[in-house]
Amino acid sequence: MKQLDKRPHSRTLIALSSTALALPGIASADAPPTQSTLSYKLSNYSEDNLSREQVPFGSLERYDIDVHQFRLVAPVGRDYSVQIDANHENMSGASPWFTTAGVDGSPIINMSGASGITDERSELAIGARYYLATGSVGGTIGYSEENDYRATYISFSGQKTVNEGMTTVSVGVSHSADDIFPTDAELFNRVRNEDKRSTSAVLSVSQIINQHSTFQLAASLTEQSGFLSDPYKFRDVRPDSKTQIALSSAYRYFVTAADAALHADYRYYHDDFGVSSHTFNMAWHQNLGNRWQLIPNLRYYTQAAADFYTNIDDFQKPLTEFQSSDYRLSAYGAFSGGFSVVTFINDWTATLTAERYVADHKHSAYAVTQPGAALVSYTRLSLGFDFTF
Amino acid sequence: MPDRGKILFILVLATLLCSCTQVRPWEMGNLARKEMAWETDPLEAALNDHIFFSKEASSGGNSAAGGGCGCN
Repeated sequence: MKQLDKRPHSRTLIALSSTALALPGIASADAPPTQSTLSYKLSNYSEDNLSREQVPFGSLERYDIDVHQFRLVAPVGRDYSVQIDANHENMSGASPWFTTAGVDGSPIINMSGASGITDERSELAIGARYYLATGSVGGTIGYSEENDYRATYISFSGQKTVNEGMTTVSVGVSHSADDIFPTDAELFNRVRNEDKRSTSAVLSVSQIINQHSTFQLAASLTEQSGFLSDPYKFRDVRPDSKTQIALSSAYRYFVTAADAALHADYRYYHDDFGVSSHTFNMAWHQNLGNRWQLIPNLRYYTQAAADFYTNIDDFQKPLTEFQSSDYRLSAYGAFSGGFSVVTFINDWTATLTAERYVADHKHSAYAVTQPGAALVSYTRLSLGFDFTF
Repeated sequence: MPDRGKILFILVLATLLCSCTQVRPWEMGNLARKEMAWETDPLEAALNDHIFFSKEASSGGNSAAGGGCGCN
């Protein structure tokens, strides 16, 4: 085993996107794909190093991840389609372990994995969809595995077009059963084997406004239970259940004069850890003839801190009292911007994307009482291909 | 969400829904374009979901969060 210490760093890519994929656009919501599409995307995600002021001792390096994504979507007969997703990630780097107070009282970060962390994650998901005259139903089953984390999940979704094709109503439910078995548990007195359950439901309504624009409103509810703390933090004690709600909206407008599409998205989120957030996203899909497309993208995210967040760990507190110095539970804001160049050549599509993300407590729209230590900034580069046959 | 934000959100929604006009199937050419889809690049969207879920405290929205995650 190569890794000395690590925080699991995964996400089920496929189940999260399966329902969204089932809504490719109102006009085609109840029609199966007419051709098969094979997609591959290679990405490199690289976090900025921390400074020596933030981390007086040990490694300054953070995560660097290579991601391979594969997807096949194919029609089967006249009324069915299948989808197969396979993902693989290679990770290396380090993450914050605990925080202490510096001479001036500001937090000092102590990093895990002084000699570096390496891990891999693999995932496979298979889904199928049946198309009716005015709707479709489908399901996905998936499995992902890392050295210390295993997830098995299933999801179902259905959608129906009503109102003479002007409105599409979609529902989805999903469940995930996860096992957590941290590495070096004995050495660092970590939990040995814990589990986590997540159940989620989503309802969305998509509405055609006119010939040029559409609007979507969605609400999701997720219940989590089990071990929700971070087993790799020196002191991280969180409630064993969490309820999350998210309300989101999406707007699409085709600007005929510019031969371009405007995308505007907004999401409000709240959970009973005390975190609330707002997310705004805008993108402009500019066609340049039939062969090229340019897509600039801007995103702003801001969140309030969890009720039990502390930027300096208090080791005097009893273990029954909630606390976490996880910077992801602090109040902050993040700006990100990206740019994609897309080219279409016969049955091929190639997409090159660059993205930059910067998080800072100074960007927060919420009050910041304890600035988060080790907020992340990263750069991502992706190259993707789609082949239709 | 602040009250002003809620009111603005409801007003925008009501305005959009009230301004709907009937669009016949043969008039949906622009709406059916790939760049008008909710997700134009599913792998890109999945990757971004993955990253934001890992680095931010929020998740969910227009898709069912069915999968497990080790990102505590």
